[in-house]
Amino acid sequence: MGFSQFLDSRRDRAKALVKILKEQFSYVSILGADSKSTAIRVDASTSNISNGQDTECGFVVKLNNGSCFFEYAMDDIGEDVATLAEEIKEAFSASAALKQASIEHISLKDEPLVQSFARASDLHEYSDAQLLDFCQKTQKELQGKSENILNAMVALNTMEVSKLFISQNRELDQDYAFIGGVLVLVYRENEKVVQVYNFEGSQNVADVMAALPSKMDALVDRAHHLGYAKPIEPGVYDVITDPSITGLIAHEAFGHGVEMDQFVKDRALAKQYVGQYVASPICNMKDGAASALSIASYFFDDDGVLAGDTQIIKDGILVTGISDLASASQLGTSPTGNGRRQSTRRKAYTRMTNTFFEKGTDKLEDMIASIKHGYMLFETDNGMEDPKNWAIQCVAQYGIEIVDGKLTENYVSPVVMSGYVPDLLKSISMISDDFEICGSGFCGKGYKEWVRVSDGGPALKARVKLG
Amino acid sequence: MMKLESMLRANNQVTDYKINIHQIKSFEMFFVKGKLETVRRTNTCDTQVTVYVSHGEFLGNADFLVYPSTTDEELAELISQAAAKAMLIDNKPYSLPEDETGTYNVESNFAGIRPEDLAATISNIVFDANKLPNGSLNSVEVFLNQHQETVINSRGLNKSQVRYDAMVEAIPTYNGKEQSVELYEQYNFSSLDEASLHQEIADMMLAVKARYEASKPQQKLECKVVLNKQELKELFFSISNHLRYSSVYTHSTVFKKGDAIQKEPTGDSISITMAGAVEGNVRSTKFDSDGLSLGQQKIVEKGKVLAYFGDNQYGQYLGETPTGSLRCLCADTGSLTQEDLDEAPYLEVISMSGLQVDFFSDYIGGEVRLAYYHDGQKLIPVTGISISGSVSQVLNTIRLSSKTATQDGYTGPDKALLSDMKIF
Repeated sequence: MGFSQFLDSRRDRAKALVKILKEQFSYVSILGADSKSTAIRVDASTSNISNGQDTECGFVVKLNNGSCFFEYAMDDIGEDVATLAEEIKEAFSASAALKQASIEHISLKDEPLVQSFARASDLHEYSDAQLLDFCQKTQKELQGKSENILNAMVALNTMEVSKLFISQNRELDQDYAFIGGVLVLVYRENEKVVQVYNFEGSQNVADVMAALPSKMDALVDRAHHLGYAKPIEPGVYDVITDPSITGLIAHEAFGHGVEMDQFVKDRALAKQYVGQYVASPICNMKDGAASALSIASYFFDDDGVLAGDTQIIKDGILVTGISDLASASQLGTSPTGNGRRQSTRRKAYTRMTNTFFEKGTDKLEDMIASIKHGYMLFETDNGMEDPKNWAIQCVAQYGIEIVDGKLTENYVSPVVMSGYVPDLLKSISMISDDFEICGSGFCGKGYKEWVRVSDGGPALKARVKLG
Repeated sequence: MMKLESMLRANNQVTDYKINIHQIKSFEMFFVKGKLETVRRTNTCDTQVTVYVSHGEFLGNADFLVYPSTTDEELAELISQAAAKAMLIDNKPYSLPEDETGTYNVESNFAGIRPEDLAATISNIVFDANKLPNGSLNSVEVFLNQHQETVINSRGLNKSQVRYDAMVEAIPTYNGKEQSVELYEQYNFSSLDEASLHQEIADMMLAVKARYEASKPQQKLECKVVLNKQELKELFFSISNHLRYSSVYTHSTVFKKGDAIQKEPTGDSISITMAGAVEGNVRSTKFDSDGLSLGQQKIVEKGKVLAYFGDNQYGQYLGETPTGSLRCLCADTGSLTQEDLDEAPYLEVISMSGLQVDFFSDYIGGEVRLAYYHDGQKLIPVTGISISGSVSQVLNTIRLSSKTATQDGYTGPDKALLSDMKIF
């Protein structure tokens, strides 16, 4: 553990490259990444140790001269920096592609800052053999929980991130780790096969190892109930969302809509609603890599902007959106630390980090008791945004019917929540006084550019269309 | 490469090895409201090494990445570490493909054209397709990739191929007096057909105007539903995902050989063939990551599961001859004609948030952003609705178009008519 020696060895070359390219471009920055991740997976009949999805090593150079941005992604900064600089300049020399009309009047600040960031983790205290051993033992215990389990899978994914950001006036580096653990069951009951999973994440392996086994019984119980789950009768219902579904609403219903690169493209209706009510007055919503500690938490973003803690909705009123360097420069605002790339090989866009509703004052039991007939919705499956027209689609793995203020044994699955964002957000009438954030998934921009995100919050009571 | 292989051979613990090299050169253009916002180039190469260690009755494997900066000392250490990890893995043994060599080019008309020129051509076609008054393309992104892939293993396999792909993400927008609306369009291709690309964007411009004009139906619609190629791709790939060797071996499937996916068929029967390469299909490839040469495998015939498909390891575990990871799906066309459609009212889905297909919970449905309600006489654009149904019931009665379409890995009927769907 510790900042990447490889990136450290390229620090001076990166500075030299910035210096040469500055002769031609008014703004030059270099982001270097050396992130290692390991995926360890054990199921009933196979096991595996492999490179995880978060593994990457490379550099991306970002250039600007007052109009369009240029980016050049590469594996390494070799010793011959001068030749590399010429290659980069040549890559963006005159061509048919570059004769098209460009954005204009871009002015980028490069405020001085030299700082190193690190977050402690116990990851280095565990060998691959120990991690595999934990997965094997946990898998065996989980598999033994029920004869109905066709296959139990236990996985640990470790991620150690080192990033270096160099510009003329900024020199930032960060290193941090995160560990995610997953339990998955393939389960057969009532002549039906179901798949269920549970996630636990922390910057410490010990936390994940302590928490995962405690989730096994609940997972088997959920699988049992889903074996008898029925399709929901489509309609509009009063619902209570668990923190996972609350987070899904925060992320899909409104989070994508306040990504300010969409403001630049006139792709977000929220642009016209800043300062106006967009949600019930009891709603408060935030996003920021510094707003919570999760898999999406970092110290500076991929534009070299320090992590933010942005109040998006305050008492139901839209306060502001989130932004990356390019969108903020076009809007004349300050970037909020939300410039993120899938890897150094991909473009930076405005992306969410930890997105959540803040907790309220209601007790969950009172919220459930207030519903004559409706559903409590659990566990995010997936969702899709429509920031221009504020349509939503959020898929919950399952719901439990509420009758006369009490949760029943009637499960429905899957549950697709759809409708119009303001209708949903303005229907929120109760918010619980607890809070949970979860980061088991990836978020795409459209259908690409996958980055790790977390979301969550308290339980919400709302009225939505389910089908 | 010779040095890497000799170092792998020199390690006594390593029984076998595989090296995957993937070089990508890309050129990308990003437009915001018609103006160039960003131009990107990438020139990167991944070298992934997998070591296999036979220990007792087991075979273990582990992998690592080699970077241009990796020194010989680091490489030796990485090999030793991977071998030690592989010793921890107690999997059933399987063999690697042997003694095949070849150099291939996957068919494309991109070869020989400078990517910056091709990208400019593509962006010009996209913007030219917008002839709609009050229409705009608020965001256009063009990605061009040249992939050079090589697989080498310790059993004499050495294959390489060059393939190209392109992706255009365009956001057709209609700016009306009352509001501005958009749709999402992603178009993937490996050969440029200028007319086809132009038509695709032009069609979406007309569709986005329809979204502007669309309203939520005043009355509940009760009629059959027509899905187009994007949603049919989701539906048919959902079936094929249940028939992968890995899904079958890990029990993550609801189907087995001989099962009827259409239990009481009254519509067109479904037949699906997975293939390595199909003309015009962007996912075409000559071999998979294990180096297995890719042919074809019919997996569903007349509504019944005929066979499985997938990678080397899980194929051998199931006692099959591995087909390799086939990425192209071909579905047989059916008997549905426009004349059939004209007979009754139906709802034709043009754009969804994303069709959800879940065979575990027997569900198909999702939120509809734009559809046309055909009442027998006129087309009425509608929005603000959702559809849902039982996927097993829907497959029983599905009618498949007699016309073929291609969409990102899918080649098959361009439309399907679904009964028993709820519209709400």
